[in-house]
Amino acid sequence: MVGIVLISHSSRLAEGAAELVGQIAGNARVVPAGGTDDGRLGTSTERIASAIAAADTGDGVLLLPDMGSSVLSALSLLADLDPAHDGKQIRLADAPFIEGAVAAAVAASGGLDLATVASAAEEARDVRKL
Amino acid sequence: MSASSEPQRVADVAERAVVLPKHLHARPAGQVAQAAARHHATTIELVAGDRRANARSVLAVMALGAVTGSEVRVTVAGSDADEIADEVVQILRSPDSAA
Repeated sequence: MVGIVLISHSSRLAEGAAELVGQIAGNARVVPAGGTDDGRLGTSTERIASAIAAADTGDGVLLLPDMGSSVLSALSLLADLDPAHDGKQIRLADAPFIEGAVAAAVAASGGLDLATVASAAEEARDVRKL
Repeated sequence: MSASSEPQRVADVAERAVVLPKHLHARPAGQVAQAAARHHATTIELVAGDRRANARSVLAVMALGAVTGSEVRVTVAGSDADEIADEVVQILRSPDSAA
């Protein structure tokens, strides 16, 4: 199953988003990566890297950043990874954080592949609530 | 839908109507979308009032805004349409799936 990493400046936001997603897509593999190592607001490439390792079951991992430096941290981490070396399939989604996470987790838990899970997250940009 | 004019390979289409026992909340919407993901070669569409959603999109299903007592029409096109339509109806009818 495709794993999902939720990257936020706030550990509580990432954990709460993972909790909410778990209610809707129960068996999805969703790992929060929020805050800094010393518990402050911010992002940590180390925390993102360990969340990727925890989310990865061999079918790939989708990263969902909230905004700003979450995106930049994810990008710098991806730039440092050598995909041919470690064999990991990792994608960064350009999607709203909560809606994208819910859509991606539902798709992942239904057994869809990484490209389709990423599309599900990115389609969330175009879905209205009302 | 017009494939019924082809006798040897009739498109498999199933239609159901469900009166919702509970609002179509996030959790049942997720279950419907998970079913759509499992049967990704088959198209599942939900209609509530004047709104329409492809069941693959959990967000579109939630955005139907389908409330308790309203009717949702389910149209399934593809292989195993009847079985899949029954599966979706079971999710929509199950009151404890509403969160």
